[in-house]
Amino acid sequence: MKTRISVTVNGEKHDLEIKPNRTLSDLIRIDLGLTGTKKGCGQGKCGTCTVLLDGKPVNSCLILAPQVNGKSVVTIEGLGNGERHPLQRAFAEKGAIQCGFCTPGMIMTAKALLDQNPHPTEMQIKEAIGGNLCRCTGYTKIVDAIDAAANIVSDSTVETGGRDV
Amino acid sequence: MRIRSFEYHTCSNVQEALQFLGEYGPDAKVLAGGTDLVLALKAKKIRPPHVVNIVDIPDLDCVGNSSGAIRIGALTKHARITSSPLLEEHLPALGNAAGLIGSWQLRNVGTIGGNLCNASPSADSAPPLLAAEAEAVVLDSLGEYRIPMKDFFVGPGSTRMQPTQLLKEIVIPLKQGGPCHSVYLKLKRKKAVDLALVGVCVLAQLDEVRGTLKSIAIALGGVAPTPIRANDAEKMLLGVPLRQAFEMLPEVAEAAAAVTRPINDVRATASYRTDMVRVYVRRAAGEVFQYLSARMEGQ
Repeated sequence: MKTRISVTVNGEKHDLEIKPNRTLSDLIRIDLGLTGTKKGCGQGKCGTCTVLLDGKPVNSCLILAPQVNGKSVVTIEGLGNGERHPLQRAFAEKGAIQCGFCTPGMIMTAKALLDQNPHPTEMQIKEAIGGNLCRCTGYTKIVDAIDAAANIVSDSTVETGGRDV
Repeated sequence: MRIRSFEYHTCSNVQEALQFLGEYGPDAKVLAGGTDLVLALKAKKIRPPHVVNIVDIPDLDCVGNSSGAIRIGALTKHARITSSPLLEEHLPALGNAAGLIGSWQLRNVGTIGGNLCNASPSADSAPPLLAAEAEAVVLDSLGEYRIPMKDFFVGPGSTRMQPTQLLKEIVIPLKQGGPCHSVYLKLKRKKAVDLALVGVCVLAQLDEVRGTLKSIAIALGGVAPTPIRANDAEKMLLGVPLRQAFEMLPEVAEAAAAVTRPINDVRATASYRTDMVRVYVRRAAGEVFQYLSARMEGQ
């Protein structure tokens, strides 16, 4: 039995008829064809499926499609508005990408971090990306890239969040 | 990792949820944040014919203060608990514990109600709530019940709640008279995301006139089939002058270790867990006593 949901993805509203056992990661990749979001462990351990749900980073593999009814999702495709986001540029410039599989999730988590804390310390960056695994182990350059992007992004408007990170 | 199909029900209020649960009973599973449920569905540990989504029920996602108690709605996310100034003031151990659950991504989705109802022996929310003598407010079609946290857990994955019941909120009584402090420490195999091998919460209140411990609670997670209190260890410290309490820590830690019944598993051996209870009880209690002595001297 399908259920009807309405979800905004990257600013565009979608009305979908969907099986309730569909995960958000499958909805994004299969139903909407946005394959930038990767599927890794499927168990909420690796973080490569991270997207922003109402502005907060979540593991899309652990969320069922009906849970996002009426909510707003941003994926890696929705980050730059046609141009590359400062985080994407910093990751490329700093060599923070090896195989690239963790990158979309890393960048989405980093985006949420910079939205609520425009000047994170190195420790705050490391804590924020604690749920994103890089199996190439290129963490040093990832942290450098987020730090570099923070200096670029900090001029833009900033939402204030909790002190979770 | 396909999830078997199920019939999905969404609820806009508590009454609707109770109706579904009353109708389907053990055939239904409640979906709150889903971080445990979706995992169990994927692993086919459970195959519920019905899933009842309560995540959109309003008013259950809040931390508030009313009539001498803190109330935490069952759908409150761990991230909110971590950053709650109210809990920071009255039960900092719960904020510590919620901040140590999973990753940031999980804390944005997982709920305190889900953490408790999933009833993992190592659930991080449990020791601070046990120590604070919190109560679970549970609803069914007949009315509202209160289950003290010490009676809430029955065994791994099982609670006192019936399949027709819904957890509404957690009520934490506020302690009056005398400064209070609490600490939760969690032992993991690594610094990043992991389940607790051992979780220790120590909560103490100072009698400022006498300089003695007016109340003391030590709660342990991950070292028995359910989260437990170390009653004998607590009794040793009750009414004891703060200075003396520091010296008693080795015996107290020993008494706490004596009530554990840990298991051997892939993450740690039973004897390692018991050893670490000794270490973590000393550390957590030491931190709490340190804070209270600073408060006493500051006056």
